[in-house]
Amino acid sequence: MRTIANDPVEAVLAAGLKDLWYPICPSEFVAERPVSLRRLGKKFVLWREASGKLHALEDHCPHRGAPLSMGIAMGDRIACGYHGVQVRFDGVVTSVPGSPGCKLEGAKATRSFHVQEACGAIFLYNSTVNVDQPPPLRLPEELTSDEYSHFLCYTEWKGGYRYVTDNVMDPMHGTFLHKQSHSMAEGDNTATFRVRETDLGFVFEKEGQRGVNFDWTEWADTGLHWMRLAIPYPKTGGPGGSFFIIGSYTPITDNVAAVFHWRCRKLSGWQRDTWRFLYRNRLEARHWTVLEQDRVVLEMMEPDANQREMLYQHDMGLVRWRRHMRNLAKEQLEREDAAAPTKAA
Amino acid sequence: MSELRQEVYLNPHQARRRPPTPYEDLLGDSIERAFAAGIHDLEGLVAHLNRTGPGCLQNEGVWTEALYQEEMTRLAA
Repeated sequence: MRTIANDPVEAVLAAGLKDLWYPICPSEFVAERPVSLRRLGKKFVLWREASGKLHALEDHCPHRGAPLSMGIAMGDRIACGYHGVQVRFDGVVTSVPGSPGCKLEGAKATRSFHVQEACGAIFLYNSTVNVDQPPPLRLPEELTSDEYSHFLCYTEWKGGYRYVTDNVMDPMHGTFLHKQSHSMAEGDNTATFRVRETDLGFVFEKEGQRGVNFDWTEWADTGLHWMRLAIPYPKTGGPGGSFFIIGSYTPITDNVAAVFHWRCRKLSGWQRDTWRFLYRNRLEARHWTVLEQDRVVLEMMEPDANQREMLYQHDMGLVRWRRHMRNLAKEQLEREDAAAPTKAA
Repeated sequence: MSELRQEVYLNPHQARRRPPTPYEDLLGDSIERAFAAGIHDLEGLVAHLNRTGPGCLQNEGVWTEALYQEEMTRLAA
């Protein structure tokens, strides 16, 4: 996505809105050895204590800015590889071996971030400033209820994260792009859409067709931005009805997105186990083929494709979403202005 | 392009821990054919497997509802 240097709203959106939870990587990406991840306009270092407890700091030593990720994890702190400066998980410098007693010791000098694991992923609270307690991570019921079973699919795509949301906010592409797939061969080529408000966001849906193709999509804000949609399975998918996808997308850079899709099904007992077996044995590969159809189109789009669009009725969902995101970005800028110290005249 | 490709994470198999065995592939085929035929109950599914295979790994090849459930629990874990 093109970053317009003089548009602060665009800059806020390109880096990802602040004070929200974001999924940043699958759980297994992080072990005891520190890992550096570029996300949300920053580099983070993540590591675990031997107990598995997870920590995240900005990947920047407060001394000279060396990456902490090149250092040594020591339980709840990390020792920078450059000069041995030790930074605790809360951002406090606990030791400066080269200059004991210096002012840096005891200072909260590094940005620290709250992280939480759920559903196979690590979520990070992208706070504007360090906070003692983040708001709760609130996930949709498909990921929290025992009535559902799910698998995470994590991918990284070339393109801004907003292109990924645009794609999901555009159900009609299922009828065309995914015509050749195991699950989206049905339904009319034309449709009228409407937007329906919900407590958490909105649903963009076809009028007069449900449970046939990719017929609706939902965008929600629970302190985490997530999307929900349902796709009917063919008969070979067995009992259990449509399968649900929960999506959430995080910027890596302006032109690379971290793409999280949880594939969910409402099943129990032997039906649940059979779906899980079939998913591992064959359905995952079929879902992958469908997802690749999306990735290839999105990656082939020019970074400024969304600056030269001629939209029609099927696009009112993404128009609605983009407007909402711009409003959230403006509100964030107003909060930052209000919090900033008054500039000298 | 291929060099660039390696910078990003694209792993088509994230749910399974190893490639499937021929037995698992046959089992998947058979279950899908049963579902396609509209068999959605456990009794019918077990009868279908006993008719078309593959055989159960225990009990001299004969599937029972309990053995099917046990096997699916193992394969779903």
